[in-house]
Amino acid sequence: MNQKVVEFINVKKIYDMGEVKVEALKGISFEILKGDYVIIMGPSGSGKSTLLHIMGCLDRPTSGKVLIDGEDTSKMNDSKLARLRNQKIGFVFQSFNLLSKLTALENVELPMIYAGIEKRKRKKRAIELLEMVGLGDRLNHRPNQLSGGQQQRVAIARALANDPPIILADEPTGNLDTKSGEEILKIFKMLHESGKTIIVVTHDPDMIHEGKTLIKIKDGLIEGVEVLEFV
Amino acid sequence: MSEIIIESIRSLMSNKLRTFLSMLGIIIGVTAVITVVSIGQGTTENVTSRIASLGSNVIIVMPGISGGSGRAATQLSDILSVSDVEKIRQMCPNVSKVAPILQRSSNIGYENQNTVATIMASTPEIFDILNLEISKGRKLTYEDEENFENVVILGYDVAQEIFGDEEPLGKNIYISLNIGNSSIKKLFKVVGIMKKLGSKLMYRPDDSIIIPFSSADERIFYSQGKVNSIIASADSSENSQIAMIQIDQVLYDRFDTADKYRFISQESIMETLQETTAILSFFLGAIAAISLIVGGIGIMNIMLVSVTERTREIGVKLAIGATRKRILWEFIFESVLLTFIAGVIGILLGIGFSKLTEILASDFNLKTSVSWQSIAIAFGASTLIGLFFGIYPASKASKLDPVEALRYE
Repeated sequence: MNQKVVEFINVKKIYDMGEVKVEALKGISFEILKGDYVIIMGPSGSGKSTLLHIMGCLDRPTSGKVLIDGEDTSKMNDSKLARLRNQKIGFVFQSFNLLSKLTALENVELPMIYAGIEKRKRKKRAIELLEMVGLGDRLNHRPNQLSGGQQQRVAIARALANDPPIILADEPTGNLDTKSGEEILKIFKMLHESGKTIIVVTHDPDMIHEGKTLIKIKDGLIEGVEVLEFV
Repeated sequence: MSEIIIESIRSLMSNKLRTFLSMLGIIIGVTAVITVVSIGQGTTENVTSRIASLGSNVIIVMPGISGGSGRAATQLSDILSVSDVEKIRQMCPNVSKVAPILQRSSNIGYENQNTVATIMASTPEIFDILNLEISKGRKLTYEDEENFENVVILGYDVAQEIFGDEEPLGKNIYISLNIGNSSIKKLFKVVGIMKKLGSKLMYRPDDSIIIPFSSADERIFYSQGKVNSIIASADSSENSQIAMIQIDQVLYDRFDTADKYRFISQESIMETLQETTAILSFFLGAIAAISLIVGGIGIMNIMLVSVTERTREIGVKLAIGATRKRILWEFIFESVLLTFIAGVIGILLGIGFSKLTEILASDFNLKTSVSWQSIAIAFGASTLIGLFFGIYPASKASKLDPVEALRYE
């Protein structure tokens, strides 16, 4: 059960802005075990967005290694990374990022289209997922016909489409009112209990009541790792 | 693949006005190409069939054209004569028939009816050479020629005009015309009526009357053996070129220059026509190509705008697992679909316009013909333009940095 789903080994990220070189990550090493609920917290400019992008395989580190579910991402080309994102990681964004022209159902189907799953199967799965997040009656609504909380629940259903081991969330409650936010956190808790690894990047201090592990970062370095076991 | 098609259709449908406007360049280009090519092709077919009416073995010798540089070109007159006709008859083995022609427009009449017709004075061979058929009475004979008979064969329309329902055979018509200062009026007896024949290239037998060469030379034109043109036929279509060379040798011997006479044959006219058509097609093609390229640039422009607008969408797609290749194909397919639909609309409009032209220009007997080749080329060209001008925007979309794209507002 001590399987590592995410492993960072001395990861550095340097942005070359011509004259100035900005060191966003100054050599970070940590690991996240399967089934953990991790809160990554840090003030703005601490490098947590960069960390999130590298962990989500949207960006590559300047040096160091990142292993996702045991696979070394530094040796992968763009197509392999795309496949990895598709299969291993479910993204949940602060601003939902649903495709406005597609219905809730079609949005959830999209990652399965990229995975090459046949139409009937993916439709069935998408309906199940939307029912699970409580939107069984909103299948054919477009994002602009849904409230913020409902949109975020569609986004979670989309993140779960290919049954990835990791859910990577970036300020998932940041754009929501308290009540909708609580509903989202409830779903996360349920997912965590079902065995998913949840990683939430945030600067909201209330989030520490949700997770099991807290990784604090500051100035591109890990400031500390705490175990939060008072749930 | 089917998802990409649906995705593209959805994307094009989401902004119908813009989609339509961006297609307009291609639509207009394709419409213009189809319409113009169909009119060109129809006209060529029309002209070709008229030329073919002459008969592929017919050779016409006309006087040469003098001048040209600086002053107006004029046709040399009084160059060819009956002695040339005789020489051709004797010395050209592949010429089966040859006849002189004197031609002049004049007034003709019967009792109170009169009209203007072309007098064609010639020998009996002309009926065989131009394949002139008779509906009533008889053709010219060698006796008519030898005896200087005042007989006439009427063209179909001429007979209709001056006789109407009355029986023309055996009646005397008068021919009157002015030669120099004297005016002439002579009576000719109608011995035959031609069938309705349509035009034979430069001759219009329906509006003509045919009289024996000898009596015309002696009593009307006083031309002393001079002829306007010589008409001959080769013993077969394959030999028409050889026959023409033989005639050329005879005439060159006489004039010591090739400038004083010229040939008209179905083949030579066809050649000129084909050259003209080729030049015309080239220019039309160039204009069409320019209009399609301009249309293509319009497509590229709109696709680039679309890529910028959808930056964030592309970022999301990349994040949830779309490969760069897939993004590339989505955009390429969208632009190909755009130009393909534009091509279809253009082809339909083009067919419509060419039919409309046919109706509006029915007075000129203008026929249009939309060929399968031009439709295929229009389809191919519009699709290729979509591909060509879609590649750059699509590759730009597929190369977006997912992090930057997700941050894009």
